[in-house]
Amino acid sequence: MIQHILLVAAREFRQIAATRSFWFTLLILPVALAVGPLAQSFLGDSDTRNVMLIDGGSGAGRAVAQRIELDEQQRVLGALARYVERYGLESVDPAAPWAQHDRWYTDADAAQFAADGGADAVAKKLAAAAPKGTPEFEAPEANYEIVKTPADIAAAPPAQLDALVKPYLDPPEDSDLRKLDYVLYVPERVTPQTPVRIWSNGRVSPGFVQTVQSVLTGTMRVQYLQDAGLSAQQSVAANTLVPAIRINSPPPGGGREKVLIQSILPLLLAYILLMSLLLSGSWMLQGTVEERSNKLIETVLACISPNELMYGKLFGTVAVGLVMVLFWAVCAAGVAFAAHGQIADMMRLAIAPVATPGVILTMLYFFLAGYVMVSMIFLAIGAMSDSFRDAQSYLTPVILVIAMPFAFIAQAVMSQTGGLAVQVMTWIPLYTPFTMLARLGSGVPMLEVIGAGVLLAAFIAVEFIFLGRVFRHSLLAAGEKASLKQIGQLMRRREA
Amino acid sequence: MTALLLDQVTKRFGNVTAVNDLSFAVPEGEVYGFLGGNGAGKTTSLRMVLDIIRPTAGRIEVLGKAPGRENSADLGFLPEERGLYKTMSAIDTIVYFGRLKGMSAGDARAEGERLLERFGLSDFAKTNVDKLSKGMAQKVQLATAVVNKPRLLILDEPFSGLDPVNQGLLEDEIRRASQGGATVVFSTHVMQHAERLCDRLLLLAKGAKRFEGTLDEARAELPARLTILSREAPNGLPGVARATMAGPAEHGWTAWAVEMEQGRDPGDLLEACTQRGFALRGFEQHKPSLHDVFIHIVGAGEARA
Repeated sequence: MIQHILLVAAREFRQIAATRSFWFTLLILPVALAVGPLAQSFLGDSDTRNVMLIDGGSGAGRAVAQRIELDEQQRVLGALARYVERYGLESVDPAAPWAQHDRWYTDADAAQFAADGGADAVAKKLAAAAPKGTPEFEAPEANYEIVKTPADIAAAPPAQLDALVKPYLDPPEDSDLRKLDYVLYVPERVTPQTPVRIWSNGRVSPGFVQTVQSVLTGTMRVQYLQDAGLSAQQSVAANTLVPAIRINSPPPGGGREKVLIQSILPLLLAYILLMSLLLSGSWMLQGTVEERSNKLIETVLACISPNELMYGKLFGTVAVGLVMVLFWAVCAAGVAFAAHGQIADMMRLAIAPVATPGVILTMLYFFLAGYVMVSMIFLAIGAMSDSFRDAQSYLTPVILVIAMPFAFIAQAVMSQTGGLAVQVMTWIPLYTPFTMLARLGSGVPMLEVIGAGVLLAAFIAVEFIFLGRVFRHSLLAAGEKASLKQIGQLMRRREA
Repeated sequence: MTALLLDQVTKRFGNVTAVNDLSFAVPEGEVYGFLGGNGAGKTTSLRMVLDIIRPTAGRIEVLGKAPGRENSADLGFLPEERGLYKTMSAIDTIVYFGRLKGMSAGDARAEGERLLERFGLSDFAKTNVDKLSKGMAQKVQLATAVVNKPRLLILDEPFSGLDPVNQGLLEDEIRRASQGGATVVFSTHVMQHAERLCDRLLLLAKGAKRFEGTLDEARAELPARLTILSREAPNGLPGVARATMAGPAEHGWTAWAVEMEQGRDPGDLLEACTQRGFALRGFEQHKPSLHDVFIHIVGAGEARA
């Protein structure tokens, strides 16, 4: 019996491996992994917004520019502090603000940081002291870039600005004007009656509006305090008062970030299970339909039993799926080996929670069980179908039922908001493999793993009995497509 | 030894009885014809022999054992509806089925190559089936059936869809298998093939056996027919059931179409004519064809089904 099963499995495997679609699918993921980042770097749009400031004479425009610059430096400082903490480089300059990652950086910190040479200067200092293999610090992309205001616009009366800034927001195709995202006009005196104007080529970012608002509110507040009798110095000092904020956050790769990273691999595995299942399942289904439509079944069944044929096909399909997953895993390992620094670090964090023998066995079990469970459904559909069109009418609702909740599972696991719904889905055998694989990164109680695993095994056993009957009885049947009622009857029929 | 035995076998599909209380035995080495119209129960019977379906009642023995895949090493089967894996090469297809029947890969390949050479397909051994002509694919299918040199070769409507060249090739293969000691059971509704090949026949109608025996025994089921040339009408002669004029009288001699009574030998009529001085100028016996016998036994309506 085993020899027959292996012969059928080997033939199935060879038939699928001989198709172009198999190789295309096998290679598309690594190619996408390789080409994706490159394409992104070549084709990707910059997230930096170009901003032009028109100061009507109040000097507030310059204040907005300074605020934007300080905000950028604070952001860079924060990123630098995370980098220093991640690689333990505080000893390079323990007094530097970037070595103190338990507080919010003030404007004074940011200004000093910029004055000392900013990220470039610190990065050089750190690179000289960092252990070999430590990746270089890469400053985050700037949110805004202030573009020089042309003289004609700077000198134009406010009433003409609408017409003058329009070409910058939507430059004609043959124009060499630099496209702007925002143009900000601050009038000579900022009051509630004299509006500040913002022109935009799209939706205005709330962050940008808040920045402008905070600066101009400060300007108005200083004016108000001066009008109330405070000296100019006191007014400015009152406006710069800020509380010292201490921050306690998990180290890089900890807390929510850790949960996210640790959920990546199991989620990816669940997704790969789904994808490879749908692909290899449909290839197997094509093979079964071909055997029926080519009138091959009778010749085959004269040599082997329907069960041997069924198990052989399942084995062949599982083998195809495993080869695909193994190939992708090897590619991912190759990427991890070739990539140093942050990617390797992230991989290490992602692999850490699933690198124990128990978890590996659990993953393997749910992966294989998921494969067998869904492949069995595909197999029964193939046995009932005379053509791929016939099969599609059964297949479409089945794929919808299996695949639709995956997006919810992934989102719920990543955001950790699934709660009861994801737990309930863990106990529905059709979703158990996907849900369990997706949840393994964030930890699942042992009792739940064992319980859901046993329930899944029982479901597969029942599936083998009932769908096995459908498979056996349908192999030599001819005529119209079976209705749901007839499928139910086939499930209850015992004799051949 | 009995190669195939069916003992009171019945197969029902719901309310439909496809095979009804069928019993027969095929001794080893015999070429056995399974004759019947469409829906007579031929394919169902053969599927039960191969254990593709199970009988509702009765007993089947194949080479002395119960039906099952354990026998596949000794069986060859060519189904009525034929097909092959389109993307497999001719030789791989033969090797695959050889291996499913328990052969080693080497033996299956060697025998497959011999068969392809015998069928004139050596140059196409590595050609995928979907690139072969229909006739070539039919030869490959035949090769998958005989690659294991079966002791019992079962062929379901083997001649249907074959061109005359391949029909001849198949007849040769059946004779070759029989000469090699194999038992051949084949179903057909084309009587000429059965007449040429079968040692014994079974006529099936509506799932039930209507006749089993040799070709001569089958012919004996039909009243003998002959044409005589006489001066007098032969009605009234012993054994004559009916006699009708078959042509105009010439110089006093008339041609008569004579149908004998069932079981009466035309030789007896000739003897009676001699004894009685009944003048005869011509006496020609017509051997009934198997087709005639079939129509006679199962009825014209059944034969057309």
